[in-house]
Amino acid sequence: MDFGYTREEEEFRERLRAFLDRELTEEIARQNWEDKGVGPEAREFSRKLAANGFLGMSWPKEYGGQGLSPMYDFILLDELGKRWGAHVPLDVGYTMVGHTILRRGSDELKREFLTKIIRGEIEFCLGYTEPNAGSDLASMKMRAVEEGDFYIINGQKTFNTEAHYAEYHWLAARTDFNPHIPKHRGISLFIVDMNSPGITVRPLITMSGEQTNEVFYENVRVPKSRMVGDKNKGFYYMMEAIDSERNHVFTPCRLNPILNDLIGYVKETMFNGRPLAEDPKIQDQLAQMAVELEVAQVFAEHSRWMESNEIPMTYEPEMTKVFISELEQRLVDVGMQILGSFSQLEEDSKWVPLRGRIEWYFLHSFMTTIGAGTSEIGRNVIAQRGLGLPRG
Amino acid sequence: MDFHFSEEQKMLKESARNFLAAECPKTLVRAMEKDERGYSPNLWKKMADLGWMGIAFPESYGGIGGNLLDLLLLLEEMGRACLPGPFFSSIVLGGFTILEAGSEPQKKEFLPKIASGDRILTLAHTEPATTQFDPFLVTLKAQAQENYYLLEGTKLFVPDAHVAHFLICVARTRGEPSSREGISLFLVDSQSPGLHWELLTTVARDKQCEVLFRRVRVPAENLLGTIHEGGKVLEKVMQKAAIAKCAEMIGGAQFVLDMCLSYAKEREQFGKLIGTFQAVQHHCANMAISIEGGRYITYKAAWMLDRGLPCTKLVASAKSWVSDAYKRVVGLGHQIMAGTGYMEEHDMPLYSRRAKAAELAFGDANYYKKLVAKEIGL
Repeated sequence: MDFGYTREEEEFRERLRAFLDRELTEEIARQNWEDKGVGPEAREFSRKLAANGFLGMSWPKEYGGQGLSPMYDFILLDELGKRWGAHVPLDVGYTMVGHTILRRGSDELKREFLTKIIRGEIEFCLGYTEPNAGSDLASMKMRAVEEGDFYIINGQKTFNTEAHYAEYHWLAARTDFNPHIPKHRGISLFIVDMNSPGITVRPLITMSGEQTNEVFYENVRVPKSRMVGDKNKGFYYMMEAIDSERNHVFTPCRLNPILNDLIGYVKETMFNGRPLAEDPKIQDQLAQMAVELEVAQVFAEHSRWMESNEIPMTYEPEMTKVFISELEQRLVDVGMQILGSFSQLEEDSKWVPLRGRIEWYFLHSFMTTIGAGTSEIGRNVIAQRGLGLPRG
Repeated sequence: MDFHFSEEQKMLKESARNFLAAECPKTLVRAMEKDERGYSPNLWKKMADLGWMGIAFPESYGGIGGNLLDLLLLLEEMGRACLPGPFFSSIVLGGFTILEAGSEPQKKEFLPKIASGDRILTLAHTEPATTQFDPFLVTLKAQAQENYYLLEGTKLFVPDAHVAHFLICVARTRGEPSSREGISLFLVDSQSPGLHWELLTTVARDKQCEVLFRRVRVPAENLLGTIHEGGKVLEKVMQKAAIAKCAEMIGGAQFVLDMCLSYAKEREQFGKLIGTFQAVQHHCANMAISIEGGRYITYKAAWMLDRGLPCTKLVASAKSWVSDAYKRVVGLGHQIMAGTGYMEEHDMPLYSRRAKAAELAFGDANYYKKLVAKEIGL
């Protein structure tokens, strides 16, 4: 048993820290992750990350990577997270679909996309959820019908968050319409150019001000060569990727800046002539959060270790996801309690504390236990796949 | 980063589980709750023969040279089996304190005998004034005389004092009652005149004692470590004890979850297995989350302690989390087991009663959160 990092990993972290302290502004961090969406500054930052050798450490050399352990990517995510960055700017391509292209894509797809992903040049947008396919994702209805060298695709997706700036749609659609087969067996994955004729993107604005989107397909022609892996295997590829996605998206370090800001606030803020930091209840609440962040860290370390060593994961990343997402809500709730009346002030208000970050996180935190699968589905997965309880 | 156990560790854990399943059935656990001595000397001897008591002691002191993590694997299995007896007291509280602070002759005298199971030790730190846990609140006085110390005061919640051959008594040799400085440790023969113990009646029916020191004479050579500087030793021993207790708790909590899973897969209501109900599944998932988080943070803390890395915050986080986690797990376990688990003869109460004792041992979640608060600069 070993909880340490190698000397090479530590050196990478040191170089990365120096780079991020210099380059990662709060504006870029917020474009990375928060309400603003990826803009020119985040795109530029993405290219710089790649140019300085911080992207692609764990990727095969033939596509421009370094062929090292995934632990380097996790270190990158941790250091970004500690600075409000939470993930790389072009996150879906780099931490989600790229891995599936590598595992399942044709050589042609790998050559076309992987190098650009590792260079931080292109972004994808997940096209999974539909109005009637949420937790029950396999019941999706989007239709892809063969016609010569193309698939003709029709239907609607929803909550496709990067659709308004991504170059490509990572689309799941039905390719077998036999009503007698299990519904997860008739789904395929496609890479669709977002500029294709027939695609319409309509914004949906969330309660925390982020843009997500509805995406409509009307007779969109997609070359067959843009199908990922085998026909009708798409749902398996999605599920196969989900554990690694959880490991890359639900990183504990992204909660550190919230706690650190609160610690700073209670030390500087007075009540009745004494700093809030001396209030035993506040001490207890913040200490509880610090304890849970340590627990979140070991959950993540365990799941990452499994992924890095190619140990089959069944429920472990799900546990990490459920825990970290719910911790985010508890942490934000503690923050709102500590800020008191001032907690309700928005970023642009007079008297706003901590730049409105806690208030924004409060709104945002309602999503974290829903996005990428609800906590309830997560617990079903833990109970059934992890603990062997029977399906209802 | 590596979460693998070595082959030796895996074998140790498996053989410990099999051994305890055979040698420490719940009938024995229940019998020992009512037994005055509280453990089986026969089983004690067998454990000693397996080398368990010296597992984390160096070979030069009769041990087998393992580390804290090896010991934790055993403690996890002991927690699973509800093993009664003074193993924890003698090895963790007694052995580790001597290992930390003892002179060479003291180590040579005590550790091999602890490792062979022939000598039982314990540690007396808590006092009547400790209405909130604080190992450094020490009023029991040790006054230096010509060639001995005179101990006067009362200790509470001293585990296994009734069977111990020696008690390590935490005493004040100077300074204020709550000062870390001025604490000294003494090896006290349990047969010393003026030393009286009495068993307390506890929720876990474990053997915790009140120990009175009435002008107990302790030879000067039985001072353990440097005079007035016992606080530093105590701090280190408390860290190891807290993590060792976490391992015991994780083992117990895992057993509770396993028991609930078996039950949920055989108990039918409304014509279905109750394990198919999402409410039950989510209880079980919550138990698993509590346990797995606790297990990894416990191992991580042990890994840091073994390397001598600074880990005050991590140890405190672990004991805080695991104390609460075990409590949650038994609470959910009772919900799943329902009426049958509320019966005295069921195994469930063995665990829920021990969960409370373990939560309180060496400080509960609230105590450790105070340490964490300090560590994060509050």
